[in-house]
Amino acid sequence: MEGFTAVLLIWTLIAPGSSGGSGREAWPTHLACREGGLEVLYQSCDPLQDFGLSMDQCSKQLKSNLNIRFGIILREDIKELFLDIALTAKGSSILNYSYPICEEDQPKFSFCGRRKGEQIYYAGPVNNLGVDIPKGEYQVLLELYTESRATVACANATIISF
Amino acid sequence: MMFPSHLAGTLIPAMAFLSCLRPESWEPCMEVVPNITYQCMDLNLYKIPDNLPSSTKNLDLSFNHLRHLGSHSFSNFPELQVLDLSRCEIQVIEDDAYQSLNHLSTLILTGNPIQSLALGAFSGLPSLQKLVAVETNLISLENFPIGHLKSLKELNVAHNFIHSFKLPGYFSNLPKLEHLDLSKNNIQNIYHKDLHILHQNSSLNLSVDLSMNPIVFIQPGSFKGIRLHELTLRSSFDSMNIMKTCIQGLAGLEVHRLVLGEFRNERNMNDFDKSALEGLCNLVIEEFSLANLEESLKDAELFHCLTNVSAISLVSLGLYHLKGFHNKYGWRSLELVNCEFEQFPTLELFSLERFILTENKDGLTFAEVTLPSLEYLDLSKNGLSFKGCCSYDDFSTNRLTHLDLSFNGVIIMSSNFLGLEGLQHLDFRHSNLKQASDFSVFLSLKNLRYLDISYTHTRVVFHGIFAGLVSLEILKMAGNSFQDNVLPDVFKEMNNLTFLDLSACQLEQVTQEVFNSLSSLRLLNMSHNNLLTLDILPYKSLQSLHVLDCSFNRIVASKNQELQYFPSSLTFLNLTQNDFACVCEHQSFLQWVKDQRQLLVEAEQMLCASPLDMRGIPVLSFRNATCQMSKTIIGVSVVTLLVVSVVLVLVYKFYFHLMLLAGCKKHSRGESTYDAFVIYSSQDEDWVRNELVKNLEEGVPPFRLCLHYRDFIPGVAIASNIIQEGFHKSRKVIVVVSNHFLQSRWCIFEYEIAQTWQFLSSRAGIIFIVLQKVEKSLLRQQVELYCLLKRNTYLEWEDSVLGRHIFWRRLRKALLDGKPWSPEGTEGAE
Repeated sequence: MEGFTAVLLIWTLIAPGSSGGSGREAWPTHLACREGGLEVLYQSCDPLQDFGLSMDQCSKQLKSNLNIRFGIILREDIKELFLDIALTAKGSSILNYSYPICEEDQPKFSFCGRRKGEQIYYAGPVNNLGVDIPKGEYQVLLELYTESRATVACANATIISF
Repeated sequence: MMFPSHLAGTLIPAMAFLSCLRPESWEPCMEVVPNITYQCMDLNLYKIPDNLPSSTKNLDLSFNHLRHLGSHSFSNFPELQVLDLSRCEIQVIEDDAYQSLNHLSTLILTGNPIQSLALGAFSGLPSLQKLVAVETNLISLENFPIGHLKSLKELNVAHNFIHSFKLPGYFSNLPKLEHLDLSKNNIQNIYHKDLHILHQNSSLNLSVDLSMNPIVFIQPGSFKGIRLHELTLRSSFDSMNIMKTCIQGLAGLEVHRLVLGEFRNERNMNDFDKSALEGLCNLVIEEFSLANLEESLKDAELFHCLTNVSAISLVSLGLYHLKGFHNKYGWRSLELVNCEFEQFPTLELFSLERFILTENKDGLTFAEVTLPSLEYLDLSKNGLSFKGCCSYDDFSTNRLTHLDLSFNGVIIMSSNFLGLEGLQHLDFRHSNLKQASDFSVFLSLKNLRYLDISYTHTRVVFHGIFAGLVSLEILKMAGNSFQDNVLPDVFKEMNNLTFLDLSACQLEQVTQEVFNSLSSLRLLNMSHNNLLTLDILPYKSLQSLHVLDCSFNRIVASKNQELQYFPSSLTFLNLTQNDFACVCEHQSFLQWVKDQRQLLVEAEQMLCASPLDMRGIPVLSFRNATCQMSKTIIGVSVVTLLVVSVVLVLVYKFYFHLMLLAGCKKHSRGESTYDAFVIYSSQDEDWVRNELVKNLEEGVPPFRLCLHYRDFIPGVAIASNIIQEGFHKSRKVIVVVSNHFLQSRWCIFEYEIAQTWQFLSSRAGIIFIVLQKVEKSLLRQQVELYCLLKRNTYLEWEDSVLGRHIFWRRLRKALLDGKPWSPEGTEGAE
């Protein structure tokens, strides 16, 4: 698992960005975790770049302090950073959530305030409700964007619980 | 991170494969500001583009493959001010690479794996103020060849491999240096000699960021006598003990602002307690900031070395054990962000001028505070409930100028700011205001300049709600509502108002005189309401209006005659997202839209909502020709209708005449059954039977007369009989004129048909017999007959024998005219 994560992260961090051409194929789908009756797949929906993400010890009983690893090279300054989460199942929306990650004064996270070209590697817990995921397939759209609404990262994730 | 070495084997082919996939391209750079700013990010460039103008001032070459910067690389761009070379895979920078860039003020080298940096790499650059060399494999500052950059203000060498905090001697050549970012490096020990240059040179006013360095030791006395503007040490210590000794090592430092704490994702300490900050007693600090410590802080003892600090900022600390702050601190500013207070802290700080408490847990209830010097109060984003807002008693200050209670819970307005007359800025947005429209809440706020009550569930019923706000310049009240959804005259006396936001207020109508006193208003936002027409008269008096936003309404059109009253100062009018009706009825409004295209914001985004076939089509593409076309169609159809109806009326009126005409064609001449059809009044029937029939039918030669009482076929309409039996089958018509004749409608009808008949058969066929002296007055009513009798010869029935003899002779002669010679007649005559 660790080895896989490392390969994934290195690949995504080192791989040069796209040329921004129009007819480019979609980014490949990556596996973030497959364990304990849960499978999480994701695909970058930012035409400019792919990124690396993995989850440690995922299971159907989602722990409230889930650890993730996330790596990306910034193409925007992130003085302010926001996260939008949209959860859908079978085409109907279940949850829409918007969360400020970085604010200008006294940032919570060490990567806040980083500038274009810098590398972010986040390994740590993410807050969540810690619920049991009912059986089924869920789609999650995750988007990180700056105060000027420029996309920093975007992912279409699929969560399959069996 | 530790990477297993065998992975390199898989990575290298992968990289090679990827680079094959990306052929070199020469896409042109994006022109952001012509001749000034060019964006060449991520264009697969292998060399510096040479097709850009030499006047370029801002050049972004990030995310390309430049790899090697030779000398005079940028000689084509002598005007450059900002140069971004982030992630350009630059490994080598030769001598004089940036030579001749005399105006360059910002150079960004982030993310380049620099292996060889020539000693003269940065030569030239006399104006450079900001150098960013984050993630550039830098090992020490000592060898960094920047000693000649006299105008440098900011040096960012974060996220490198620098081991030592030794500030090189060349810093004494950088008199303007203000910011030194050394965060995320490998500095472990700080010795007295490292700061030698600062001891010597006290004129520097440096801000140093040492966050995320694994600092374990600071030699006591290193900072003694040194003055820094700012020192940041977040997530720099691995444990409480290291932090404690290191802070003691800072003794003697004079710093304007000291920032301690951790980051949420870079937490190291888990045993923080109040003793950690004991060493701060030996420092001179103006402002102190502590952020993101996981441990809960039990008491205010923590701050006993900070009593003389001017400003304290505490962010994301577990202060839930803390009950409040009492008057032993000389703080002037206190900021508490996300500190998890379980109840509203008791505050009794006589010198405090500025107090901020935000992002606390929901559900606090405001408790009175004693802050007699308070000027600035921000209690936003706390879910706070406020039982009686607001007056002097709540804060014990009459100096308050700024009050922010936005994003809170229920705030009951019970007092109209008595004792708080100095307020200039008041913000209640997204809190739930109660009783705000019950009385003149803001009556005493004569100095208020800014008021925000957006989304406060306020329903304006009382028209005096804003009474007293004579100095107000900005009023934001989006997302509220008004009684009956009509905007009433609530803005009296607001002569200084420049900005008014009334969006999302469910407004359907605006009263005419509502904006009459707002002569200074420059921006008016009426968007997201339910206005149905663009009613211009209310805006007529807004002499200074610059921007009017009426987007997201249901405006169908505007009244034509009003369009001329638009304030002439208007420069932006937003009418997008409305329900425009692109029909000819509003043709002049649609034409006005086209004419005012410069005034309208995103005019091409204004779309038709009706009629159905025009839905989604831009208003600008509505063609007037469509209307002209339909006008012609309407005109033609009206004329046609008119003609048809005239024809129908004529047919109706002359139906019998037409019947006659049809009959005339059918019955050719000579087939006449009768010699004459007699038109007479039934009152004169005696004369007809006894005189006319007797003399003509029984005389020689005998004539056949058509008489209605004898020859008309029963069961057929009288009119048809008159025409078909009477006129069609007779050669002549005898009209027996008398007073009775003139009075009978049937007779007059028959006479009129006879006239037509005579005209159609084009022969003199009517013989008039005047039976008795006719009354002139009656005759005059029949003007035609009167004229005819005047002009034509007629027979007159006379009483004398001679007269009668002549009468019959003349009548016979007239009847004989055109009578065919028939054998029957000859026989009868013999």
